[in-house]
Formats: sequence, structure tokens, C-alpha cells
Amino acid sequence: MQKSKFLPRGRKDRTVVMVDIRETKSAKAADHFLQVRPGKDFELLTIMRAMIKDQEISEAEVAATGVSMEVLRDLIDQMKKAKFGVMFFGMGLSMTRGKHMNAAALLTFAAEMNAFTKFVAMPMRGHGNVTGADVIMRWQTGYPFGISLNRGYPRYNPGEFSTVDVLVRGDTDCAFIIGADPGATMPKPAIDHLAKVPTIVLDPHVTHTSRLSRVHITTAPAGIAAPGTGYRMDEVPMPLKPALNSPYPSDEEVVRRIKEAIAEKPDWMTNQPQMIESQV
Amino acid sequence: MLRITGGTVYDPANGIDGEVKDLYIADGRFSSKFETGRTIDATGLVIMPGGVDVHTHVAGGSINFARAMTPEDHRRTQAFIRSKTRRSGLGGMAPTTFATGYLYAGMGWTTVNEAAVPVLSARHTHEELRDIPIVDKSSLVLMANNEIILDLLEEGEDERAKHILAWHIWAAKSYGVKAVNPGGVASWKYGNDAKHLTSKIDGYDHVTPGTIITKFAKMIDELGIPHPLHLHCNNLGAPGNVETTLETMRHLEGSRAHFAHLQYHAYGGDDWGNMRSEAAQLADYFNAHPNMTTDAGAVLFGDTVTITADGPWQHLLYKLTGRKWGNLDVENETGCGIVPYTYRPSNLVNAVQWAVGLELLLLINDPWRVFLSTDHPNGACFWRYPEIIQLLMCSDYRNECMANLPPNIKNKISLPEIDREYTLYEIATITSAGPSRALGLPQKGDLGIGKDADLVIYHQDHDIARMFGHPRYVFKGGEIVIEEGDIRETPDGREYLVQPSYDPEIDKFLRPLFEDRYCMSFENYPVEMERIERSQIQDCVTLGGEGE
Repeated sequence: MQKSKFLPRGRKDRTVVMVDIRETKSAKAADHFLQVRPGKDFELLTIMRAMIKDQEISEAEVAATGVSMEVLRDLIDQMKKAKFGVMFFGMGLSMTRGKHMNAAALLTFAAEMNAFTKFVAMPMRGHGNVTGADVIMRWQTGYPFGISLNRGYPRYNPGEFSTVDVLVRGDTDCAFIIGADPGATMPKPAIDHLAKVPTIVLDPHVTHTSRLSRVHITTAPAGIAAPGTGYRMDEVPMPLKPALNSPYPSDEEVVRRIKEAIAEKPDWMTNQPQMIESQV
Repeated sequence: MLRITGGTVYDPANGIDGEVKDLYIADGRFSSKFETGRTIDATGLVIMPGGVDVHTHVAGGSINFARAMTPEDHRRTQAFIRSKTRRSGLGGMAPTTFATGYLYAGMGWTTVNEAAVPVLSARHTHEELRDIPIVDKSSLVLMANNEIILDLLEEGEDERAKHILAWHIWAAKSYGVKAVNPGGVASWKYGNDAKHLTSKIDGYDHVTPGTIITKFAKMIDELGIPHPLHLHCNNLGAPGNVETTLETMRHLEGSRAHFAHLQYHAYGGDDWGNMRSEAAQLADYFNAHPNMTTDAGAVLFGDTVTITADGPWQHLLYKLTGRKWGNLDVENETGCGIVPYTYRPSNLVNAVQWAVGLELLLLINDPWRVFLSTDHPNGACFWRYPEIIQLLMCSDYRNECMANLPPNIKNKISLPEIDREYTLYEIATITSAGPSRALGLPQKGDLGIGKDADLVIYHQDHDIARMFGHPRYVFKGGEIVIEEGDIRETPDGREYLVQPSYDPEIDKFLRPLFEDRYCMSFENYPVEMERIERSQIQDCVTLGGEGE
């Protein structure tokens, strides 16, 4: 692990605390492991928020989370003494009972810790360039995901415009999938809809989604055989420099050629004003 | 070729103050001849050079974080609908990239300077700048809390620090250097700040904010960067901070310096209850020292989102308001904080801030040295500039607005005693000719032969905000981009860079330091030139000669 002016011994100068519902391989690499009872993330975070402010908490409330009061007191003590703390969180928090409420509790906890010492929180993103997609959608549309452009300008509503919701409702008459395999992970009604409509897949591999698609286009893998940019989870962009040649085109080239072909077609959205003053 | 006839021209770069004059355009520039082509009759209309924004935040990690934090604003604001040739976008507090270009051009601004770019996310910033259509762009790199440079200054290795600074300017493909709360942002990594020029910086024994400021201004002058040190002073926003600002100005005697958003640095008093304007004191000092330029960082009442590299200040603002707070730390380089904010006329502090911005614009007597800005989006969004122009040009309107301020503001501001009204010539100076000169972009803000044909044509209107908010025509590079409120064309703008010279051997010195401290490889750090579309390298300048 990186050594620095303030942490000259690298990993030895850092403390890693792992919180999970089971003892995973990552837990073995940590200095401390806290096993939280499944579905009790929100309660645990809320109790810790109360404890840093010395508010009263009953033993029974703490016991229900699966972590003892003593362990929590010790953890909070260590957190307050830290010079710079980071809370990393992933889908175990945001996709289980409580969902975005859990994430909100954790972000608030991190903000409140700044009354005592420097603390930040950062989501651990999934595989591939998820952060990059999120960053670019934000600068082009204002929103990170769950965006509808069907009125000619961006609108946002996770739960309505997110991919899974649109597919489950059967709201699309075509699907264009790049760098993802919803056929392997999404619920059955969403997969059934993908199989029903013309689905186009761009992927270096033949995926579950490719098998139910009308068209699969094999592309060069980005970062291995195609250049580009990948955004790290802290939103620092890294240049991708290909090490190998590929007989396949890059995703970018395929998208560009499809876009050029579509530009030849008549515009279906004519007679729109240039701008609307206010959406509400 | 194109000819614009009969317009009343305000062109401060050439001393032209309201003369009726024909302009000819060929190949994107003003020309002395016209043979054939379209003629636009501008009789009775007002012509000015296109606006130049010396200090704005429109692209990169911080504004993009602000966009993520404010979906409730995107949902209500104006929406640009896509067409076959034009991308969609949203306006509001933190406009999307495409909308940013439409909105700037829509009020006659044709060049913008993105004022805060960490080297680590410069690649990202350039990708966003590429997606801002119509306007020309430049960007400033954040360096005054950079660990490697501060270490060198601590050791007294000033000459080497200068080469490293030049290396970073080119690595970020930037146009100049921005210093934000020098030393304070470095201390913020440990939850501390550096409010005064003699404050201790965490991790350093010798170097102080004062040394950083003096040495940076000197290094930038020696390197001949066309735009001087662009400085966000220590102790932003705090009552009584005028002392820090004046001390900073004294540190910079003999160097060039641009003071960003001076409004936030001109307060007296010692707590929020007795905070008052010290704009008059600051303007007096500023008027007597021609080595400095500034932009107002004016405040308008309403909703906005504040974003700054000044992390500790943003934590304080979050505690004061209890609203959302975003914080970004950028490894060894800098930081950033984001807090949505509403300026209210009924709030005494906000009312003082509103007055201070206008007082600075009115009390600094040389329009070539004070420029219109709101530190977008911090004081207000850039698309509200026409409202500020109205406040500057109409003292009656100012008095009307002052009637809405809390009664206990009396004796805390000097605005009621000021009756100056800006002329159109002065407006053209603070919005275009002045900032172009300060940026070192002689091809901008000037309607002279051979200069870039960026200009705006307004209807004469007694309603000044309406006049400046709705130009009749806007030309960018000789092309009509806006006509009567409609977007006509969305050409790609240029990006201005500088390439200061440095010892090529500096790579060998920097590489091991870099590999020791950063979490990416040295080769991946500099932004590749081929990533900048339509780049234009401006020459460095030699200072100390005539005219300086």
C-alpha cells in the first residue's frame, strides 16, 4: 500500500475496519471485523450517529444490530482519533433493505464525523467504467442515470426511467446494450421484454444478453485492444492504452457509424420549440 | 464576407465610444474591406465586442459534482430541446455543458475562462470543455496547495519549483495558474485551515500562505504566463477578512496579480452580527496599485449552488446552513466543497454581500481593472449578468432594490452614498475589453482589424436587463450564432493553452517523487495534446519592459 509523508509505513499506519453480514475474504485483510445482522445497516448507522454525539442509546437497540455496545464505543473512539477517515460502501448497503435510506444514513454519518476529524465517504463502484458513464451523463444531461430523453430534453426519475423499470413495464420497442449483461442479472419480466423487442448488443464476448438479442456486434475490449478513458471510482480519469490489436472495431466506432446512419433518416421530432422556460 | 452597417459601436480597446461605424468581417475576423456578401443593417442598434468571462466554473469535477447534487433544480429549470443538429440540455444553477454554451452565447458572451482545474482531473475538464459549444475557452490549474511544490518551497528550492510549476501548467494543458486559499486547502486534509498569511500549514515549518503567494506571483511573472497569478485569497467569506486581503495585496507589490471574486474578501467586523462592508477601504488601496486586476464575484439574491476548492470554508457553510454538503479531496493537489445556497435580501449577511459586490464595481475607478463576474455559480449564475449590468447603470433601480434590505444594514454598507452610473462604454470595458487584456488574449474584446469577429448587437432599451438579456444578434468568429433569441449555429470553440519553457531534465527529478506519492503512473498524468480539440497555444510574454 502507498507510503506517504504522513503515513511513512504504508499499510501499517492505516487501520481497516470491515463491516459485513458475513466474514468474507476481505474481512481477513482488515484489522477489525464487525458482523452486522442482515437488514440492520440503517439501525447500526443511526445508532453510531447518535453515539458520536453522546446521545443515549439502549442496550437492547444496540444488541438488535448484532454488534455489542463495547465494540461500538471502541470503534467510535478510534474513528474520532483518526486523522483522515474514509467510509467505503457498496451494493450490500444500497441494494438491501432500506436501499437509498442506508446510503443517506452513511453519507450523513460521514458529514457529521467532520465535527471531530476529517471524514469522507465514497461508493465502491462495480466492474468496468460505471463511474465514467455516470460522470459523462451528468455533464451532458445533469443526471447520473435513470434518464429519459423522450421529450427531447433530459428528465430523471430512478424507479421510473431506470433500465430495469423501463424493461419490466415493457415501455421500449428497442434495446441497445453496451458493456453490460442485463440478461444475466435482471428479473425475468425484464429479460422477457429484451427477447421480445429488437435488442442490439455490443460486447467483446457473447453474453447471456447476446443470446436473446436480434443483433450481437463483437467489439474490441476497451483498455486491452481499444483506446479510451476509464474513470476511477474517485472520478479521476485514466487514459486506456491498448496493448493488443483487435480485428474488431471499438464500441466508439460502432456507435458513431450507427449514429451516422440514423442521421440519414427523417427527424421524428419536428416543430418543437428550441427551449421551454420552465418545466414546472 | 459580411458587413454590419449603421450600428452605434462601443469598442474600448480602440477608444471608440458610441460612434456610428460600419464593420466588415471576412474569414472569422474583422476586415478593412468588403466586396460582396450579406449586409446587416444595425441602424439604431448598439454594438459591443463579445463578452469575456475571466472567472467562472463551467467544467470539471467540482461543477459536475454540483450537478449530481442538485437534480431538484434541473427538474424545474429551463430545458433546451434537441434538434437534428443541436444537443439538448438544462439551464439552472449548474447548467449542463451544451446548455452552458447556449446560455453564454445567448447573452452575448463568447469567451469563458474555467478558473479551477486540478491536474489530476484536467483530462476530465478538457472533455467537458469540448462539450461546451460556441464559446472559446481557457482553464487555470490549481497549484498553490500542491504537495510537491510546497515541499520545494519549504526547502528553499525556488528555481526548481518554478520549473515544476511550468511542467504542471503544460501537463494540465492549462492557460494559467489559480491559487486557492494557499496553504489552507493543504491543511484541510487534516481538518484545519490557514486563515492568515502567517498561519502554520500542516506538515510545514517554514512555508506560510504569505510565502506561497509571493513566490507564486514571482514564478508566474518570470515564466511570462500571459495571465497573472489568479488568486483566491485566504480567509474567504469571514467577517474581518479585509485585513487578510490587504495584507495579501501588500505581499504582491512589484508583481502582477488577479484577485478573484474580491466581494468575498472585503468584510469588516468580527462576527456575523456586526459584519460590514470594507469595499471602500479595499477599493482605495486597489485604485492606488496598478499591478492588480480583479473580478467582482458579485452576489444576486436567489438560489444557487456554491462550489470552491476552499474545502474548509464549505464545511463551515454546511454547518451554518444545514443543507447538503459535498466534499472532494484531490490527492496531493487540492480539494473541493459544494453546498447549495440561497441568498436572501432579508438576511443581513447576504444583504451586505450583495452591496459589497456592487460597491467594488462602482468604487474601483478604472474599468480596465475590475471585471463583471459572479464567480459562477457561487454568487449567482452567470446567466444573470444582465441584472448586474442594470444595477450598475441605473442608480434609481439600485435605490429601489436597497429598499428591500433589512433596516439594520444602515452604516454597514456605503452603496447608498454612491451615485455613479456605468456608461455603455464602461460596460463594454468590464465585460469584454478589460478581461481580454487581463487574460492576455489580444484577439478578443476588440473590434479592430484582424481581431476575432466576436460581437454582440443589442436593441437600445430603457430596460437594461432586458437589453443585455436578449441580444438582437450574436456573432462568434464571424458567424451568426444567436438571432432574436434563437440559436442559429453551434460551432465548436477553441481552447487556449500556454506552453511555458522548463528544463526538460525536470522529468527525472519529478518522476521518483511522483511515483512515491501518487496512485497513477507518471506517464498517465499529463493530458495528451491530441485530447484537446481546436487548441491554440498563446505565446508567453516578457515582463518588466515598457507598458508594464
